[in-house]
Amino acid sequence: MIANQETSDMGSLTGKNDLYQKMVEEIQDYAIILLDTDGIIRNWNKGAQKIELYTENEILGKHFSIFYLQDDIDNNLPQKLIAEAKETGRSVQEGWRKRKGGSKFWGSIAITALHDDDNDVIGYCKVTRDLTDKKISDDNLRMSEERYHQMIAEVQDYAIILLSADGTIENWNAGAQTIKGYTSSEILGKKIEIFYTPEDRNAGLPQRLLTEARMSGKATHEGWRVRKDGSKFWGAIVITALHNKDGLVIGFSKVTRDLTEKKMAEEKLAAYTAELEIQNSELEQFAYVASHDLQEPLRKIQTFSDLIRQNYDDKEFVNRYFEKLEASAKRMSELIKSLLNYSRLTKHEENTYLEQVDLNTVVNEIKQDFELLIEEKAANIFYESLPVLTGNRTQMGQLFSNLIGNSLKFTKDVPVINIRSAIVEREQINDAPKSLASGRYNLIIIEDNGIGFDMRYSKTIFSLFKRLHGKQDYAGTGIGLALSKKIVENHSGHISAHSTPGKGSAFHIYLPVRNIGK
Amino acid sequence: MIHCLVIDDDEDDQEIFLMCVKKIDAEIRCLTMNDGVEAVSMLVSDTSYVPDYIFIDVNMPKMGGIDCLRILKNMGRLKYTRFFMYSTTSENSLLVESKRLGAEEFVVKPPRTAELKEKLCNIFKIVSNMSA
Repeated sequence: MIANQETSDMGSLTGKNDLYQKMVEEIQDYAIILLDTDGIIRNWNKGAQKIELYTENEILGKHFSIFYLQDDIDNNLPQKLIAEAKETGRSVQEGWRKRKGGSKFWGSIAITALHDDDNDVIGYCKVTRDLTDKKISDDNLRMSEERYHQMIAEVQDYAIILLSADGTIENWNAGAQTIKGYTSSEILGKKIEIFYTPEDRNAGLPQRLLTEARMSGKATHEGWRVRKDGSKFWGAIVITALHNKDGLVIGFSKVTRDLTEKKMAEEKLAAYTAELEIQNSELEQFAYVASHDLQEPLRKIQTFSDLIRQNYDDKEFVNRYFEKLEASAKRMSELIKSLLNYSRLTKHEENTYLEQVDLNTVVNEIKQDFELLIEEKAANIFYESLPVLTGNRTQMGQLFSNLIGNSLKFTKDVPVINIRSAIVEREQINDAPKSLASGRYNLIIIEDNGIGFDMRYSKTIFSLFKRLHGKQDYAGTGIGLALSKKIVENHSGHISAHSTPGKGSAFHIYLPVRNIGK
Repeated sequence: MIHCLVIDDDEDDQEIFLMCVKKIDAEIRCLTMNDGVEAVSMLVSDTSYVPDYIFIDVNMPKMGGIDCLRILKNMGRLKYTRFFMYSTTSENSLLVESKRLGAEEFVVKPPRTAELKEKLCNIFKIVSNMSA
């Protein structure tokens, strides 16, 4: 195992301790090579053979630069390493090396100078480890980290921000710029509070979220956030605490998604759902009352024809009940007509044709429709410069026809009907539902001197088929006021009823002042 | 003598009811009221009047049948009076509510007078001689 003992120096060096030499020779994981002062290989162990593939016979007497790549040889790397070891006692280096056959491995080497008693260098010990596997995995890790950082930097759909432990922004990606509008240089060093609305800032929301993340590892939140230009977006955020090895929080990652569109869609959906629920319950009520009120004349028709059959010989009876039968059939027909009217009223304004409607014309036309009744009752209808407003002409006609018709119908004396109008602000409408939009309204009051009603019923009279007066006293299907209310609501307005029994009633109609297309 | 009170805003239904009662037993005294308010004020003022049976229509103006039932059931004088709801259609929630308030039965107005007579015979415990 020992190279030709060319020098007595080497001889004394190598012959010292057989056991020790054996150990070196048998080591498989390290190539341990003895070089003479010129860098010629004088000793070779099993590890060297395993790593660099040369047998002892092949390699002894060769210069150790045989393991180096051409570039390193051109750069005199082997000589430099020897020189360094000679100078300082030791040199270390890592780099690609060449095995027998030309395959490469990543070698980590240490060259140690060996000295004689006079402290002259008599050779070198070169220890080489094959760190190819580690090198590859390190490289992969480094590349993966680079890719990871690049990925975060370039992610567009998520703002991914690194925060220090006190909430200072330390890192900023493309998504953050897209979503929040700041460039990296504008935002680094700022506090996260900058993204929050003044209300949330005052309420301490940002710090509360950081505290939550600090305590439980992460915090999630959805809410309106502020962009650089002051506009708002609906952000869904996750703040995750970052810990060091000792478990101390050293910062936070904050991932924000802009869910404004989703939020808008959700709100729209919720509004649709709510409207649908209202429509559904209206429909249920409608179906119940419709079936009840339609059953009634139908049942009577059956009863009357039954009675007529039983009393066929009593001419007077038959005549009387034929009349009743016809009245029931007529009533049923009226009910069906008004039900159709009611159900035809579409809820959505986009389905309703809107135009400028002159209420003076509307009232005048209704006066002509009711000409006979007005004459018969010697009724007086007064109106003064009513507004022109945006609405559906047919529905406006129905609305005023219902209300004026009621005033003509529910009366004991000569009917006097006054119609007047004014402009009011939303705040002046006391009994309106909260949902009534703000702004200005046309108020139209239709006032009569009729029988009136108890104010207890001021709300229920607008329900479908609610009659306050017995059928025998006053005609009516019980649909008119429900229809009127629906028309007013279709026009984003409000209707209320006021009365003193025996003195008369007044219907207040509020319709928004607006322009077509708005 | 049987005293019967009918509270119904429908004139025709009052007439049909009276006609049927008369056919069953001419001795039955039947009084009609046009709505709940009228019935309650009559019963409050005429303290001597104690009907054996009260039939209340459900859908009436001013005061509905259920409210009327609630008020009349609280009049101590009517402790032994039997209450019946009397309506064109029956709906479960109304049926349950009226039973809870003490109505014996929810009678749906039948289309044929024969059925009404049979129903009333059952209620008045009179053996019908007009079943044919």
